Amino acid sequence: MAGLLKIDQLTKIFNRHRPDETTALSDLSLTILQEECIALTGPSGSGKTTLLSLLGCMSRPTSGNILFQGRNISRLPERFLAQIRRDSFGFIFQQYNLLRSHTVLENLMLPLYPTDRQWKEIRRRALELLERFQLGNMHSKKITQLSGGEQQRVAIARALMADPEVIIADEPTAHLDEQLSAELLDILATLNGEGKTIIIATHDPFIYAADIIQRRISLQHGHITADTMP
Amino acid sequence: MRRLLKILDFTLSSLLKRKYKNFALIAVYAFTIAVLGSVLFLTQALKYEATGSLETAPDIVVQRIFAGRHDLIPVNYAETIRRLPGVKSVSSRVWGYYYDSLIKANLTFLASGSDRQTLDLLEGRLPLADDECSIGMGIQSAFGPAIGDSLALEDSAGATKTFQVVGLFRAESNLLTNDLVIFQEQTLRAFFNIDSSLATDLIVEVYNPRETKTLAKKIKYHLADTRPITRDEILHTYETLFNWRSGMMLAVATGALIAFCILAWDKATGLSAEEKREIGILKALGWETADVLTVKLWEGLVISLTSLLIGLIGAWVHVFVFGAPALTPLLKGWSVLYPDFAYTALIDIYQVFVLAMLTVGPYIACTLIPAWKTAVTDPDLVMRG
Amino acid sequence: MILHPGILALLSLSAVIFIIMLVAGWHSLKLIVYWDANSSSERQLLLERKTWLISTLLNYTLTVQIFSLLLFVFTADDIHRLFIGAMCATGSLNANLVGWLVLLVKGVLLFMASFWVVFNQLDQRTEDAPLTRLKYIGLLLMTPLFALDLYLQWRYFSGLQPEVITSCCGSLFSAEGEGVAGDLAGMPIGQAMTLFFSVAGFYLLVLLACLRTRRVIFRPLLFVASVLMFFISLGAVVAFISLYIYQMPSHHCPFDMLQANYGYIGYPMYIGLYCAALFGMLPGLAQPLRKYIGLRREIDLVERQWLLKALGGMVVFLLIACWQMIFGSFKLLGY
Repeated sequence: MAGLLKIDQLTKIFNRHRPDETTALSDLSLTILQEECIALTGPSGSGKTTLLSLLGCMSRPTSGNILFQGRNISRLPERFLAQIRRDSFGFIFQQYNLLRSHTVLENLMLPLYPTDRQWKEIRRRALELLERFQLGNMHSKKITQLSGGEQQRVAIARALMADPEVIIADEPTAHLDEQLSAELLDILATLNGEGKTIIIATHDPFIYAADIIQRRISLQHGHITADTMP
Repeated sequence: MRRLLKILDFTLSSLLKRKYKNFALIAVYAFTIAVLGSVLFLTQALKYEATGSLETAPDIVVQRIFAGRHDLIPVNYAETIRRLPGVKSVSSRVWGYYYDSLIKANLTFLASGSDRQTLDLLEGRLPLADDECSIGMGIQSAFGPAIGDSLALEDSAGATKTFQVVGLFRAESNLLTNDLVIFQEQTLRAFFNIDSSLATDLIVEVYNPRETKTLAKKIKYHLADTRPITRDEILHTYETLFNWRSGMMLAVATGALIAFCILAWDKATGLSAEEKREIGILKALGWETADVLTVKLWEGLVISLTSLLIGLIGAWVHVFVFGAPALTPLLKGWSVLYPDFAYTALIDIYQVFVLAMLTVGPYIACTLIPAWKTAVTDPDLVMRG
Repeated sequence: MILHPGILALLSLSAVIFIIMLVAGWHSLKLIVYWDANSSSERQLLLERKTWLISTLLNYTLTVQIFSLLLFVFTADDIHRLFIGAMCATGSLNANLVGWLVLLVKGVLLFMASFWVVFNQLDQRTEDAPLTRLKYIGLLLMTPLFALDLYLQWRYFSGLQPEVITSCCGSLFSAEGEGVAGDLAGMPIGQAMTLFFSVAGFYLLVLLACLRTRRVIFRPLLFVASVLMFFISLGAVVAFISLYIYQMPSHHCPFDMLQANYGYIGYPMYIGLYCAALFGMLPGLAQPLRKYIGLRREIDLVERQWLLKALGGMVVFLLIACWQMIFGSFKLLGY
């Protein structure tokens, strides 16, 4: 298995040179391999979210390098980061982050709007994914008309629209009951089986202890305190 | 291109999701445009009426200037002018103003046969007897007489005279006939006490219109105490007058526009929490700053063009269907008797273009910086909650 | 000063553009001073984001500049009635000395803004944006021109005296007129045609050569050909193309063809000419920028499109300009 994401001496400092300066990550090095399924854990404020956002090309480090598929992306202009994010990463957020007033289908198609792909093609892909997650008959419903579990599945389907290599999930079970959490784990396991790399930030022991997790990384005060492979 | 269209699709669906907020904005915007548009359309219509009526006006009007003021002109001047080469015809006109204290308005009295342009606009007939007259629509609506009724006027000696109305100018007739009363020449001379050797002015027709200016110079040369006025001069005076009036109106209305721009700025800056969240989501999903800017630009264009269309229709209806009740007193106003005719409905592309530039241009400019501020939202905002 | 709606619109648009350019200029200054592509500081991120603001502002400026040029010609045409003796836009522009200058400044600004927008787009497609400083210095140099545009426009319109009798196209562009404009109109038709068609032919040849080979030499040559072709074409419009369009042996006005009377034929013609000149100049201008590796890739990708656009523009221009010459019943040569 090849190194997919390589982090080298990564530091992220917010509000630099100001009184409220905070160091979220300091001097952190890590290599994530292809098709790994990683759980990232630690108390709030430990730098989980910052690390996820750096890994997901959402922000740039203060210093250090991030190599994605061998390409150094740590100094890229935002515009190129957005492209990489669009093509190679799928995100599942804690709050689902769906556009509430838009329909299910529109929500799914959104990530691919700023591409040169044809509208029809995007629509076909969205309908396929809805079928796969048993949402086929809901495509014209508004997000507000869906149940929590359905919203969760729409969010997962959206993350898969661009057929990304990496799926990043930030506290995906925070608002789910046990049954839905189990359902989510099943889906993630399937995706991992299809060859996707999965990175989950969580402090839900249900996930943390799940079978599919191949590697557990603990963070505290911006440092890695443990990196184990069960 | 495909990308632009997909983003337009998203913009339209987002705009429709926020119907009420956008509807309010469009309503104010369209109203501003309708106000400005009414000014432009009305000016254009008035200009059209004025210049249209002048097309049949005489080539040269010759007035006599006495002590720097317009005075009665001796009829025998016509002979001198007639002898100039290039002159087709010369005739004298007798006309004057009359202030009626009852309706507090100035009327124009004209002797029949003086001005050929009004003849075909008559309903009924021209006066044939001493105690007959024909009147314009404005007078009819102010006094209320119809054909067959009589009109009482006070002549220059203070004696009241009654005239029977035998003709009426139809409503479609132009600006200049609105406050007009036509009498027989002898009647009018007696009424104003004008000697038969004098006339109000002379009208000259010319064979070749290109020679008008030269002839005007020659008349001035031969008859030093006269002032020849060519039709072109009248035309461009009207033009200047109307431009000035509509310019003033627009300058005033620009206040409304500026107020609107402030509103637009405010609307564009004050994003709801929901909208902010949505843009954050888009950025997180891989939308570039440029894409969000495109959304905002499409939004501005859709709102602007919708409002422009609604505003234009509003202005058109206001001016051409209802006769611009809100603006007429401000833009006309050389006479108390406002012509109450339907304006010829015409749309000048230039006017629409000017209006679009005056309104859409500043509006989009107002939304640029707020749009950019929204577009540069941090993509990881949605993760940090 | 004439209070005319078109004039109000023009002045307010120019004022808006000028303010926008001031904002853009201010941010440009900061960019020039602090830009550091290798830094990952928050300030660099902010500056990077500001480049989007500035390009948005400039895109807006370019668009408005195009409309403003049109509106200026339109307005000059509309106000000709205020001047005794003026019969079209030419008459209004002659009414005082500044008129033609405004047109010139607007034309120059149109080309400068176009270049800026095109090169900015190219630059933003590269990862390292090598042109950043150059672009913003260019922008700072442009800003005073926008002030000049506003000032000259104000001077022109405020100096208009409606009573002034102006020479109009009949006299300015008639053979007796003085100065360049008169010379153009007075030039023998045969000579003018030879000059125009040889320059147009030269331009087309170089353009085709650029399309066929990647040889560097043809790019600057095309630039020169485009500039020549642009000015000689404008001259040719006055000298003889207008005559064919109006089918009148002495009507040399370059603006009347924008009117409804002539089916707005002037628009596609001038747009064609503008595209032919702009896209013909771009490959030559881009040549020195190919030293940046990132840009070279982008230029190679887009150059063919430029050339094809230039060709398209030229074909449209020539078709409209020559249509009447070949198929019309009106004949000038042989007189």
